[in-house]
Amino acid sequence: MRSLTSTLLAAQKSASGSPFVRVQVRERIGNIVRLRWERLYTGSEPDTYHALTVPGDASLVRARVASGTLYYQRVAGPGPGSDFSSWTSLGSVAQADVALASRGSTVLLFYVDTDGVTIRVRESQDYGATLGSPVTVATAAGAVGWLAAALKSDGTALLLYSVGGTVYAVKRSGGTWGDPAPWTNSAATIAGLACVYYGDFNVAAAGTNADGDAKLWTTIYGDGLNQPVGVWSSLKEVAAADVGSGVSFRAPFLDRPDTFRLFFVEEYTGTQAYSRPLWSYFPASQDFVAEAWREPVPFDLSSQYGMALAHDSTWAWLATPSGVWRASLSAPPLDLTADVLEVGAESESLRGRLKVVLRNDHGRFSDLGSSELTAIRYGSQVALSPGYATTAGQEVSAGPLYWLDGWTHHTGGASATFTLHASDAWSLVEGWRSRRQYTWAAGQQNIFQILRFIFGRAGLEFSSLGSSSALTGQQPSFTIHPGESGLTAVRRLLAMVPDVLRVAGEYVYIFEPLADQSADYAYGTDHAILRGRYGSPGLAVNRVQVFGQGLMVEDFRWDALADEYDRLRQAHDLNLTTVARAQERAAAEFRAVEIESYEGELLVPMNCGQELYDVVSVTDAGAGLSAVARRVLGMAMRYDRCGPRPAYEMALRLGAP
Amino acid sequence: MTIRSGIVKAFDAGSYTATVQLTGSLAVWLSNLPVARNIPSAEMVAGRRCAVIFFDASNPRDAVVAAVFT
Repeated sequence: MRSLTSTLLAAQKSASGSPFVRVQVRERIGNIVRLRWERLYTGSEPDTYHALTVPGDASLVRARVASGTLYYQRVAGPGPGSDFSSWTSLGSVAQADVALASRGSTVLLFYVDTDGVTIRVRESQDYGATLGSPVTVATAAGAVGWLAAALKSDGTALLLYSVGGTVYAVKRSGGTWGDPAPWTNSAATIAGLACVYYGDFNVAAAGTNADGDAKLWTTIYGDGLNQPVGVWSSLKEVAAADVGSGVSFRAPFLDRPDTFRLFFVEEYTGTQAYSRPLWSYFPASQDFVAEAWREPVPFDLSSQYGMALAHDSTWAWLATPSGVWRASLSAPPLDLTADVLEVGAESESLRGRLKVVLRNDHGRFSDLGSSELTAIRYGSQVALSPGYATTAGQEVSAGPLYWLDGWTHHTGGASATFTLHASDAWSLVEGWRSRRQYTWAAGQQNIFQILRFIFGRAGLEFSSLGSSSALTGQQPSFTIHPGESGLTAVRRLLAMVPDVLRVAGEYVYIFEPLADQSADYAYGTDHAILRGRYGSPGLAVNRVQVFGQGLMVEDFRWDALADEYDRLRQAHDLNLTTVARAQERAAAEFRAVEIESYEGELLVPMNCGQELYDVVSVTDAGAGLSAVARRVLGMAMRYDRCGPRPAYEMALRLGAP
Repeated sequence: MTIRSGIVKAFDAGSYTATVQLTGSLAVWLSNLPVARNIPSAEMVAGRRCAVIFFDASNPRDAVVAAVFT
């Protein structure tokens, strides 16, 4: 249960508590700002190697290499009226990649000299307005392909470059460039590098592995946050394609304007061939080492060299040689609280819905194209915060988040209303469809890690609040078929463990619902029960058989079996290779059945902090209940401010603890 | 149990397993799928369509290529 202030607790227990419900809409999905890209420049520069950075004065610094010439551009105060077409030639270079990095007033421009192996840097200390003389950073053992660079606030710089399938790192510390060192990973070819500093040097690399399979990886060159200084982490896969499929990846760009954001190019050489930029982002609180990238989304552009990404404090910037885009990083809330007439919110296992009825007799919501209402778009984030007028003022509990499915206008008589329809994070999971075969071999990843991958693909955070041993102990052979929804995959994984999932905003939490869990809240004492129904359907299953790889185990609930004879459930899973794992599965099967062996409903005055799977104690003398523990399996909130039956209440569906 | 269609991409007569591109997966294929022994190895030609039975929809090791056609 969400913690509440003492004054809010007192108000919701008071018979005369005055409701207060806050509803806000934002341009966010999964609580990550939805970037609305606005194209500021369309030129005729050829699609080729390029780079972008935004130094501390928020100027836009770009570089590109075309036909063996290095071009440079700095636009101060970039905006819709700026000239992005003027380039300065910096002379002949190799037709290879170029990289930019900046921090404060320092800008570093890296390029490959005409010999194809000498990498030079030109440094600026005035936000890129003037560049110093070229300095040699490294001389590669072979032709340099791709570059990436990042700069720390203390002046430490890292340059990455590729020669064939090897990536080399060169670090500048104390103003002196060190010796290049090859990474400790393995690739057959490299088709693009990107690097951004955030505690470590976080890297994206495109290329192929030894089998010729195309990959887009992330990895870390450590600086002490998630990886020791100077040590490479293993490669983590973001995208993959089998050799012979005609699909490959190249030209990644990486930045962290608010969370890690990634652009890269996916190429397909079959019928209807394309070279299309895709973008993705990372749940904000996850470590870069986690495999939690959102499913990459196509960008409406054709490019082989990708879209460079940078940011200042206000804008995210995208660039190709012939294009410049920007998007606001802020997503201010649109507050609808004053217009709320009714709210209906339902939440149960793997599903949550919201309906908000707003007054529209004043016509505020008649023109959704107005600048005030730009946040009301499909997929926008709706924050519902239930509360009360308390002795400390109007207080709310920052409650669940939903995402807009659509809206309806209702007119009739003298009234007009505008209704928002939204769904919670489960709709994002259900909306993710696998576009390829995802396969985990036995022993590769545990169930928690596979779930984290799925929730990441849906753009959601994932964390444990105390899970079962099966969740981390089982590393099953598992696949997600093309076209399947994330929800289908989640259901299959949940069937293997006793744990349950609860969404709280953009977070999905997993935990084991233990039968002896203490109650989070009490009803029927100082928080009134308006209506109660208490049923005992009994155990639907009293005998479980689990078939694994060459083994079978059984478990029984003998008392129930004596009453109704055996009610059998069978589970079949070749991933279960030991008796202990099979016994865990049998216990998990029974745990789910036992929670459903009790069936109750409560109608209570709104509890602003109640969450799914909380354990509550119920006291209801009429049913002979005194502080009996029950688990919340479903919730439905109803707030009606002006209807014939004004209400501010919550219906709870209860199960056994 | 689910049945899915695909295209044979490769076949290993030694292990009697196949690599199959399941319909809908443009870029990534499913490897090491057991192949029914009643299918002659000569019929497991790359490019032919096939039917795969997943006894457990989640587990690619609990599956079999049951038919090859065209």
